[in-house]
Amino acid sequence: MLDRRSALASATTNHSKVLKLEEAPDFSLTQVAGEETAIAAIAGALPEKVGQAVAREERTIFCIGPRQFWFVGPAGDDIGAKLDGSAAVTPLSNGRTRILIAGAPARDVLAKGLALDFHPSAFGPGTFALAGLHHTPVLIHCIADDAFHLYAMRTFAMSVWDWLRDAAQEFT
Amino acid sequence: MTAFRRLDTGGRIDRGKTVRASYNGRALTGFAGDTLASALLAANHILIGRSFKYHRPRGLLSAGIEEPNGLFTIGAGARREPNIPATMVDLVDGLEARSQNAWPSPELDLMAVNSLAAPLFQSGFYYKTFMGPTRGAWMYYEPLIRRAAGLGAAVAAPDPDRYETRYEFCDVLVVGSGPAGLAAALTAGRSGARVVLAEQDNALGGSLLAGTSAENEAWRSKIVAEIEGLDGVKLRLRTVVQGIYDHNLAVLAESRDQLKPGPAKGQARMVLVLLRFKTIIYATGAIERPMVFSNNDRPGVMLASALSTYANRFAVAPEERAVIVTNNDGAYDTAIDLARLGVAVTVADRRPTVLAELFARTAAHGIAIFPATGVAEVEGGRAVSRVRLAGAHAVTVECDALGMSGGWSPALHLTSHGGIKPRFEEKIAAFVPGGFAAGHFGAGAVLGTFGLAAAIAEGAKAGAKAAAAAGFGKTRPVLAPEHISDRPYAIMALWTPSEGGRGKVFVDFQNDVTAKDVKIAHEEGYESVEHLKRYTTLGMGTDQGKTSNVNALALMAGHRDLAPTEAGTTTFRPPYAPLTMGAIAGRSIGHHFRPKRLSPLHDWHLANGATFIEAGPWLRAWYYAWAGASPETAYVKEMELVRKGVGLADVSTLGKIDIQGKDAAEFLNRVYVNGFAKLPVGKVRYGVMLNDDGVVFDDGTTARISETQYYMTTTTAQAGEVMSWLEYLLQCHWTGLDVHVASLTDEWAGMAVSGQKSREALQLAFPDADLSDGALPHMGCRDIAHEGVTVRLLRMSFSGELAYEVHVGAGYAQALWEHILKRAAPLGIRPYGLEALASLRIEKGHVAGLELDHRNTLDDLGLGKMASKDKPYVGKALRFRPALQAPDRWSLVGIELLEPEKKLRGGAILFAATDEIKGHGRGYITSVTWSTELGKFIALGLYQGGLTHEGEEIVCAYPLKDELTRARIVSPHFIDREGARLHA
Repeated sequence: MLDRRSALASATTNHSKVLKLEEAPDFSLTQVAGEETAIAAIAGALPEKVGQAVAREERTIFCIGPRQFWFVGPAGDDIGAKLDGSAAVTPLSNGRTRILIAGAPARDVLAKGLALDFHPSAFGPGTFALAGLHHTPVLIHCIADDAFHLYAMRTFAMSVWDWLRDAAQEFT
Repeated sequence: MTAFRRLDTGGRIDRGKTVRASYNGRALTGFAGDTLASALLAANHILIGRSFKYHRPRGLLSAGIEEPNGLFTIGAGARREPNIPATMVDLVDGLEARSQNAWPSPELDLMAVNSLAAPLFQSGFYYKTFMGPTRGAWMYYEPLIRRAAGLGAAVAAPDPDRYETRYEFCDVLVVGSGPAGLAAALTAGRSGARVVLAEQDNALGGSLLAGTSAENEAWRSKIVAEIEGLDGVKLRLRTVVQGIYDHNLAVLAESRDQLKPGPAKGQARMVLVLLRFKTIIYATGAIERPMVFSNNDRPGVMLASALSTYANRFAVAPEERAVIVTNNDGAYDTAIDLARLGVAVTVADRRPTVLAELFARTAAHGIAIFPATGVAEVEGGRAVSRVRLAGAHAVTVECDALGMSGGWSPALHLTSHGGIKPRFEEKIAAFVPGGFAAGHFGAGAVLGTFGLAAAIAEGAKAGAKAAAAAGFGKTRPVLAPEHISDRPYAIMALWTPSEGGRGKVFVDFQNDVTAKDVKIAHEEGYESVEHLKRYTTLGMGTDQGKTSNVNALALMAGHRDLAPTEAGTTTFRPPYAPLTMGAIAGRSIGHHFRPKRLSPLHDWHLANGATFIEAGPWLRAWYYAWAGASPETAYVKEMELVRKGVGLADVSTLGKIDIQGKDAAEFLNRVYVNGFAKLPVGKVRYGVMLNDDGVVFDDGTTARISETQYYMTTTTAQAGEVMSWLEYLLQCHWTGLDVHVASLTDEWAGMAVSGQKSREALQLAFPDADLSDGALPHMGCRDIAHEGVTVRLLRMSFSGELAYEVHVGAGYAQALWEHILKRAAPLGIRPYGLEALASLRIEKGHVAGLELDHRNTLDDLGLGKMASKDKPYVGKALRFRPALQAPDRWSLVGIELLEPEKKLRGGAILFAATDEIKGHGRGYITSVTWSTELGKFIALGLYQGGLTHEGEEIVCAYPLKDELTRARIVSPHFIDREGARLHA
């Protein structure tokens, strides 16, 4: 197998006692587009509208647009192969870099760059949003009380990482 | 002689905590709780600056954000910041303050000589004097004038402090924490709504902070304590709400300067909050107006309310005697405040009669009250020493300070940012908000409600309404304390100065605009308030006329015989108060200004001698150290590598799009000008797209992966545009097509293997794959598996040589790149960069971004023959407009240099050999390179009539370097016109 290299392979590590800011690799991302009924027949129930997500077993399904879904599962997830032929399946595991932001200041860090309401009542676990961070499109997903997964475009991942580290500087 | 003293007791200062700052290099001590202004006053610094034009001595006018005079440069070195009102600066240890516009010191200012030439400086003076006799005159005078007149100087060095931006959301935004604001915030907060309470001061309470009533203070403390205990209420102190924008966006600037001069690493000095609110309550209070009389700018002449604030909040009072001049009831409170502290007070009230109750209550404190009396003139050179009164009691009174009150102007600026013009309210002789948008509310003095109990009641009501409008039903309104009963407030609008003054009568202190300037503006026809502002500079500067506008507008209205409401006001715009540029920039500075897009091979390039060049957001490998130390030498060697052997280039930046669906073939057939319906699986085709106006949009290649799936590449520059265009067509026009598109630009990496040895190189890299011409012909494509990873091979060429593109999942790009370099090393393979890549295509005559500039047609670019005659495609109809088919359009040509000692230059203007060198010429050069193959400079360009002029000599003019160069029009295909190399 060829060596796989992270877009953040040469990134500077962030050190903080109160904030976890690190890459969360080893996931599989598959974009699926097509008729909901055909997809649901194979993959199970889908989120009902854009901006909603459902989590089942090891997989989270995000509805990112009309008839468009992101399936995020563990590395090697075979959902793409299962859906092939029933929908347009586009593997995107290389194209996004996933970053974990967790800890008490996580919401404060994100509020510096994302024009989203990060109050726990408005952005609790399970919520996600497609948004812009540092001029780039990202998907931000709240995975636990003060823990988030940020999906950044791979080619911008280094700049986004750099931005996050800068925003987190005060939380030592 | 004017003098102030620090009281032994009282005030909101902590006498146990001494603060050590510096003023003009000398020690300035105060107490915790002091502002720079109160500390200066306590230390008897009365004369603290010089005025803008006349360099007249000036002292503090106010105790708040409206301060026009007391501006200082704070900090040192790169941290220095000019024009900061001392009234808004918390006194902290190590604070360095310097006075401005005075040399060598405010006390002895040599530029005060300007004052003698004062008649020269009246309104319109610059325009009348320095604009002639020649147009250049202003250019000459301007720097001299600016040196003599002005405020503090900005720093040229980069600001070392950190500024941040922050997005926030709330249900109810309350602006101002005076009695109305406190009541509003708590009432809204009790409903469970998320409330932000923004206060520009360093403490909550507004006017209550300057009061003396123990009952009021008890009420304030109780309300503040309850607010602080509510989780849903967020307090923002030292935060100025700078602007209100559409869709309920407020911009707040939170200053954290009080922490210490020079914040710690990662700590922001100021945070700009972009706050989206559902509802807003303006509880912004009111600002007291000066009165207009002779020498009303002398140090020691202050707003009456400022005297109260300094006395009650900061425990700084006039030494012995004070005079209060007023046209309203409000200033009597100040008289009583000062009398209680043992100051001998005289009140001159311009109104003919004073309410008996008020008279009696005031006189009971031993205060002399002179009705029907105003100020004729203030006497004293550097500060007020005596006041000569005019009217019923025309006596001269010695004093340490003069407090003036011309009434109160509601601070309605923010209410007007959305475009609602204020209206004049006769009862209070001031402008009030002209109305509110849905979900916007006002409470307290901003509405002209000056009574404490009434303001609290209004605040509570607004708080309940705002919470309800934000979806929170039930609340318990805050009640005003029972002991308060509001007395009526009365004012008589008396705008013109009392008779008998000989000195200057100031309207706008910061800009040195006098009542006479307003009169001159009127006489010269600058009557509208907007013209008045521009002609006299009234209301400009850092205070934006917070104390001067209403007085000036009323004077102008008087000259015009209009009511103030007919004269109107100038427009209020954000920011409400001066805002440092750093706060607007936030962290968008240096390399954080914009993101950089990096190829998956970036780290390899970096480690292997690449020099980078910016291409849009991308950083691309420009050339490599192996080929040379400068781009000029390196790219030629890299071109030779490709022409004679084999090279490897990173083309991961190309746009890549996945196109799937049973109608994908039909979709592509409509999008591209050439046919795609019959493209077989396993083949690639070059295609061109037009905009719907018939002009070339982009080119690229598309490979058919299966019956229902295609792999499109676009130019690097247009990748995003093409993706949006395809989505737009599918979502808006061709909704019936079963097609899905997805961007693969980040998913796939691409590398070009180019040169006559490229097949050999790939064979070494992928020994198991059949790469023969039969198995993978020119414009063929195939996916192979390599070490468990899918590798997509596309045989196509940008350079004109036998070439392949190898695409692979971005994560595997570096491993595959290194694998190819290693295996093909015996062939001498090396990397080549963007400069060589772009030069090779010029030799081949391929158009790229410089030619695809959204202004050229297919025919202009020599691609007209590609377009299908049979099928419809986007842009087909408009492509044939007569102007787009005109034979004299500028179209693509090759250009070769005829003078070997010279150069061709991109952008050079082209002329026929016999033309006069003048004007826009007949075309221009788009792309230039040294041709390794031909041994000379060649270029692509656009030329009127195009290749009908093939073989003709032309002149390339480059006016920037004053060059004229002879050249010849040739075919743009400089090498291998038959394409033999591609099919090898």
